[in-house]
Amino acid sequence: MQDRPTSAELLETLADLLEEQLLPATQGPLRHQVRVAGNLCRILEREARLGGPQDDREAELLRDVLGPVAEGSDTLELNRRLAEALKRGQDPALERKAWQALIEIVRGKLSIAKPGHDAYDFQGELPE
Amino acid sequence: MSPAPDLKNGLERALGELWQTPVEVSELGVATTGARRRNILFDATRKNETLPLVATIIPNPAMQVMAMTVEAASLRLAFDQGMPVPELHGVWEDPAYVGGPFFITSRIEGETIPRQILRLVEAEPSLGPRIARQCGEALAKLHAADPARAHPDVIRPGPGVSPIDQGITTLEALARDLLQPSPSFALGLQWLARHAPAPPDGLTLVHGDFRNGNLIVGSDGLRATLDWELTHLGDPMRDPAWLCQRMWRFRNDHLEVGGFGSRKELRAGYEAAGGTWREDAFHWWKVHGTLSWGLGLAGQARAHIDGVVPSIVMAASGRRVAELEYDLLRMIQRDYA
Repeated sequence: MQDRPTSAELLETLADLLEEQLLPATQGPLRHQVRVAGNLCRILEREARLGGPQDDREAELLRDVLGPVAEGSDTLELNRRLAEALKRGQDPALERKAWQALIEIVRGKLSIAKPGHDAYDFQGELPE
Repeated sequence: MSPAPDLKNGLERALGELWQTPVEVSELGVATTGARRRNILFDATRKNETLPLVATIIPNPAMQVMAMTVEAASLRLAFDQGMPVPELHGVWEDPAYVGGPFFITSRIEGETIPRQILRLVEAEPSLGPRIARQCGEALAKLHAADPARAHPDVIRPGPGVSPIDQGITTLEALARDLLQPSPSFALGLQWLARHAPAPPDGLTLVHGDFRNGNLIVGSDGLRATLDWELTHLGDPMRDPAWLCQRMWRFRNDHLEVGGFGSRKELRAGYEAAGGTWREDAFHWWKVHGTLSWGLGLAGQARAHIDGVVPSIVMAASGRRVAELEYDLLRMIQRDYA
């Protein structure tokens, strides 16, 4: 076990350094890169805190959609299997189950990558 | 890349030959410098007349998406159709003038930065709906152009291939290149194949990147459309659908058209100017555009990981893929939820 600060604490410190100290002192095209770097540290900080449980939940949801064939597969392999099954496109029931699982998985990813992005639900612009 | 000759001299020589009179170039300034193209603002004086102009230069021809002459021909055709665009003065493929192929157009004053445009709209509430309507009118004028007048080298679907089928094939190829499987994108591709609309009656010129960011806007509304390098022959509904992508709304999510207007106004302008609006194709191309952008972001991350274009900005694109997966799932939700 590493000593404190934790990864999340260090990434937060790095983000503060980039956004509060380096950004105001940076000129030209590098400014955008510093801003992006700061945002990436924020993402990684959230990943360090939330990523573990979220990967577990993703695997659980994918196994639930795929059924017994998915025993023993890791998360990457589960994603590959579901993508392959959806590509075959012969199972409307699977597609409905997949949609429900995928929206939860993607919202989980957004809670790390872009909190708040899922506040908009597109209802007002969908065809009847 | 050829050595860049003196810019002022090169522009004076090019315009002098074009106009058959001595030209003096002044007030040279760089508007934008990207990897693919540079926009140089300048004034050109001939006899007693001074013209505000822009030179669009491809510094590295290897980065060229489309020959300058083809892009310039699309721009000229749009101008002839009465669409608000800068007027083309000339196009030069010879890199001897300014170090790369370039064209020169009139310079139209106004705002191009999306957040500044949204600020203008916030200050003047009637402006947003007006721009949305003008966007519809502008696109209808472009789409009314006789496709036979398009440059013969302009990109188009293969013989007998509909733009819809072409759209699916292109995304399938991009999806095969993913470094990591995406079930959301697989479901989106499946949706596109199953919900393909009837193709348009005929191919039209399609701008290809008509969005908040490629528009010049002033207090009077839409003044011009920029960036004609993705122009092709295809389905006209692709243009309004691209304009309505969530990523061009800059957080004004409830305003479907560029974060400043509603689809109702866009469609009203389009139809008033003679365009035929196909609602099913509009929605289909919206889903297509979202999936396409998501695959594009994954491709940028891949270019960083593979070392083709190492850049923290490209790397960060990988962590934006989930945004597009979410938008895609929401756009097709009524068929699954």
